[in-house]
Order: sequence, then C-alpha cells, then structure tokens
Amino acid sequence: MTNHTVTRPGVYIAVWLILLALLALTVTAAYMPLGWAKTPVNLAISVTQASLVMLFSMHLRRAHPLVKIIAVIGFFGIAIMIVLTLFDVLTR
Amino acid sequence: MVEGVAAFAHQFDDAEQQRTASNLGIWLFLATEILFFGVLFAAYAITRVRFPEAFAAASRLTSLPLAGTNTAVLLTSSLTMALGVHAAERGARRALVGWLSVTVALGCTFLVIKAVEYRVDYLEHLVPALNFRFPGPQADQVELFFYMYFFITGVHGLHVLIGIGCIATIAVMASRNAFTPAYYTPVDVTGLYWHLVDIIWLFVFPVLYLISRP
Repeated sequence: MTNHTVTRPGVYIAVWLILLALLALTVTAAYMPLGWAKTPVNLAISVTQASLVMLFSMHLRRAHPLVKIIAVIGFFGIAIMIVLTLFDVLTR
Repeated sequence: MVEGVAAFAHQFDDAEQQRTASNLGIWLFLATEILFFGVLFAAYAITRVRFPEAFAAASRLTSLPLAGTNTAVLLTSSLTMALGVHAAERGARRALVGWLSVTVALGCTFLVIKAVEYRVDYLEHLVPALNFRFPGPQADQVELFFYMYFFITGVHGLHVLIGIGCIATIAVMASRNAFTPAYYTPVDVTGLYWHLVDIIWLFVFPVLYLISRP
C-alpha cells in the first residue's frame, strides 16, 4: 500500500479464470496415474493458486515490505512445523 | 480524496500511514490463522504418512462433485469480494453494497453445499463416534481420517460463517454511507480475511478429497 495504486477489475477477473482453470487441472491430475507425484502436483497447484490470491486479490504485490515479511513468516512457520515434525516421525 | 476531517485518527501522521498500520495488523492476525490451520495440517501429515493406504481409501469415500463445486463457489466469492473492495476504493457505494451482498450469498451457498455433503456423509455411515462403519481393512485408521475431515472442514466452515457475519456487517455500514475513498479500512480488512479463508480451502480441498481417485 505504499503507492496507493488501484488494481483494475479486469485483473481480478483474469485471476479468477486462472484459478478456476487450475481447479480443473488439479482435479484432472487426481484422476491421472501419477503415482507418488500426485500429491506434490496437487500441492504445487494449491501453492500457485494461493500465490495468485495473495499477490493480486490481497494486494501483496504492492504492500508495505513489513506486511510482505509477516505474510511470508506465517507460511514459513507452517513449513518448519510440518517438516521438522515429519523428520522426527519418519526417522524413528 | 477527502482531506483532513475524519480521514485518519489523530495518532497517525496521514491516511497512508493509518492504512499501512491496519494492513500490518490484519496480516499479523492472518499469520496466526495460518499457524492455527498449520497445526491441523501437521497432524494430518503425520497421520497420513503412517497410514497411507487407509487415507487413500478414506479419501475415495468423500464427495468430490460437491467439494469441487464448493471450491468454485469460494473462488468466485473471492472475486466478488475483490470487486467490492475495488468499488470501495472508487467510492461507488451501490456497487460496494451489491458486491458484498453477492459475496454473502456465495458464502451461504458454500455452507449449504457443505451441509448437504455432511448429510451424505452421515447417510453413508462416515461420521466418527456417531455412526461410523467401514467394512474394509484398517477401519480404525479410516475413521481417524474422518475425525480430521470433520474437524478441519468444521473449523474452516466456522471461519466462513464468521466471514459472512463480518461481510454482512460491512454491507450494512456501507449502505449507511460509512465509507469514503479516503477511509474504507473495514472493507479492506474484511476482504483480506475472506481471501485467507479461501486460500485455506485451496489446501484443504486437495489433501482431503484428492488423495486417491480411481
């Protein structure tokens, strides 16, 4: 929000269409014989969708640097929590 | 731009600083929400790596058509919310009230579809501790999946319900002319909360419904 520029409605509609296309893609991927790669593919699509929502709908693209840091910290916290917990569980 | 009077509270230098402060505050709250759901996802991850076959079998019992539709509904509600915030930025009061109302309607649609889905789950004897029945192997582990399924979707549904309440409140405030292009922080902040609820669902959807499809 440092330079208070307004995002055009067309951008939101384009993002919405891409999000719906990615939804169709992730459901299609679930039916394909991808083996172990299925969940990583699904999650990669989710991360892409979440990034689009955060950058455009939530205006993180033009947010104050401090706001960007806090947004990243939340997801970084989750990553630490899940990865380190799995290290423990999987190496017992 | 309306300058001066009531555009910002007295502890701020200007409207821009006030906007940044409220933005920072809501993102800090959203980060704690991310961590809150993160704990649930961590519990899910541990259980799933221990019982992969049971989780795959359980995931096939969930209703993908209903959940897929609901994902599209929520994504669309995120669009209408963004258009609402855009209307607030321009000071278009009627458009703002309109988009917020559509967003509330879509949020309610999500909850109704979710309720229909819970009913289907109940009829198929998938509700743990109530009527759970699974004929195949690893019935206890499949039940564990459904404990998580109901807990995660239930807590998410609660967030949707709270979001609907907030957006409805904002819509009433907007119809009473409470916002101007210089001050629409409640609209902005509520929008950010609603988008986050959407983002959380974007992860709930694949991990519960898409593990294994025939």
